[in-house]
Amino acid sequence: MRPWAAAILYAVLGAITFVVCFPLLWAISTSLKPKEEIFRWPPTLWPENVTFEAYRELLFGSSVASAPGAGVAPSAYFLTWFGNSIIVSVGSTLISITIATLAAYSLTRFRFWGQRSVPYIAILGYMVPSVIFVFPMFLTMVSLDLTDTLFSLILGYVCITLPFCLWLMWAFFRGVPIEIEEAALVDGASRLQVFRQIVLPVALPGIIAASIFSLIVSWNDYLFGRVFMNSMENLPLTVGVMHFFDGTHVDWALMMASSVLMTLPMAILFGFMQRHLVAGFGAGAVKG
Amino acid sequence: MLPLIVAVGVFLVWPIAEAVRLSFVRYNPLRPDEQPFVGFDNYLFVLDDPLFWESFTQALVWTGWSTVLQALIGVGLALLLHQPLKGMNVFRGLLLFPYIVPTVVIALNWRWLFNAEIGIVNHLLMSAGIIDERIAWLSTPNMAMASAIMLNVWKYTPFVVIVVLARLQTIPTELYDAAKVDGAGALRRFRDITLPQLAEVLAVVIVFRTIWTFNKFEEIYLLTRGGPGTSTYNLALYAFDQSIANLRMGVGAASGVIMLLLLLAGSVVYIRISGFGREDKSA
Repeated sequence: MRPWAAAILYAVLGAITFVVCFPLLWAISTSLKPKEEIFRWPPTLWPENVTFEAYRELLFGSSVASAPGAGVAPSAYFLTWFGNSIIVSVGSTLISITIATLAAYSLTRFRFWGQRSVPYIAILGYMVPSVIFVFPMFLTMVSLDLTDTLFSLILGYVCITLPFCLWLMWAFFRGVPIEIEEAALVDGASRLQVFRQIVLPVALPGIIAASIFSLIVSWNDYLFGRVFMNSMENLPLTVGVMHFFDGTHVDWALMMASSVLMTLPMAILFGFMQRHLVAGFGAGAVKG
Repeated sequence: MLPLIVAVGVFLVWPIAEAVRLSFVRYNPLRPDEQPFVGFDNYLFVLDDPLFWESFTQALVWTGWSTVLQALIGVGLALLLHQPLKGMNVFRGLLLFPYIVPTVVIALNWRWLFNAEIGIVNHLLMSAGIIDERIAWLSTPNMAMASAIMLNVWKYTPFVVIVVLARLQTIPTELYDAAKVDGAGALRRFRDITLPQLAEVLAVVIVFRTIWTFNKFEEIYLLTRGGPGTSTYNLALYAFDQSIANLRMGVGAASGVIMLLLLLAGSVVYIRISGFGREDKSA
């Protein structure tokens, strides 16, 4: 490529990247502004006085003494919500991946009724929007007396993530030749040994891709948390931060600081796992 | 094998079966023991409800604009990102990033960016001289819909980019070399090689995005709550509203089943286009 063409391309890409990243850059800038600077017009692009007040309030409890009788400020729950989100997304991912891996393995290695149709049911299930089954699931949680528990959320997220994980693992196992396993079986290894020592290592990239997908989906979900949970201390992060809008005035610095903190785990995960994620998209979204 | 079938049954089939059952009963969550069978009453209620049709039309606007913009911008970006350039991976990473940002975060950011009084978008547009008066983005119907579409395009264009980029990388370079030898210019090469090669994958992506966008809930709900008024309702918000605000679980489920039928129709289109599952029959 000629140098001037490359220069133009860099400029165009740089401009586009800036526009795409602007909402998040603006969130970071806002989260570092003191309250009076936020409401200034015209707005300052970068805070004149950088303050970490918003982050301090979220991470180390309310710094402003709440008015008597006002109850606990929603921001005081931030760390609890953060913990809840970690528990439910990791929990549901573990369950989803375990079921998906075992199921996909059986689907590609044993013959039984329904073997052909299960993966296709799964991919159809993946297309069903969760707003359709969130209420039936909620009513079931009511009758099982599980509402407002983290466990009910875990089950809900398994419901959203399992179809795609199953599909992904199935596509993956289908590409793994069966001969090595058969040779090991002939040599006297048990099924379980074969699975642990031959199949799992080979399947690892697929497992990683499916896990990332599942973590992102359950970390980002709002609907299930909104419908299933009631008490402030049981909310996942996504539902919790929407309570920051409850008061009479909106604290934008607090809001932007929490959106930065909420994005951070996914950004780190994304940074490390980008390649696997793209591989997963390839297997799931474009066939072949 | 048995646990597998039980798990698939419990997590995949059962919630949907339950949704279908609910759509035929009257169910008020405050009186869970009374669930009289009402036949097609819920469906008749839905089809007779002006709000349902309003939501349906708005869903078409929302889906149409979102999908077209995502496809155009997505293909454009994918072509740019496909160029052999040093440091391209950094651009790829940053441009794919919106896809993993939680919807709640985007909605919060959007409410702040598009804030009528002190939002940066109004400030930038005014100082660039494009507008003279502040636009009340989220409290006028058309502008609220436009903001929601922009949010959707921002978050999901990366999906199109990923898929198209993956396909671009599999187009044999010999094709381009041969065309160059024959004297075809860049535009000609794009029209006669790139586009036809992309056609199939683009069709699949567009069907996927249409199906998903049509039924999106969180993007709209978190940004506008369907408002102002009901001007940004789509069917998902309608179903949510019936179930939660009006406590008509049966009616909510019935509109859910209607969404499901529309989705199945979309899937049939998808299967036709992609020849989904065809290789299995020959195997």
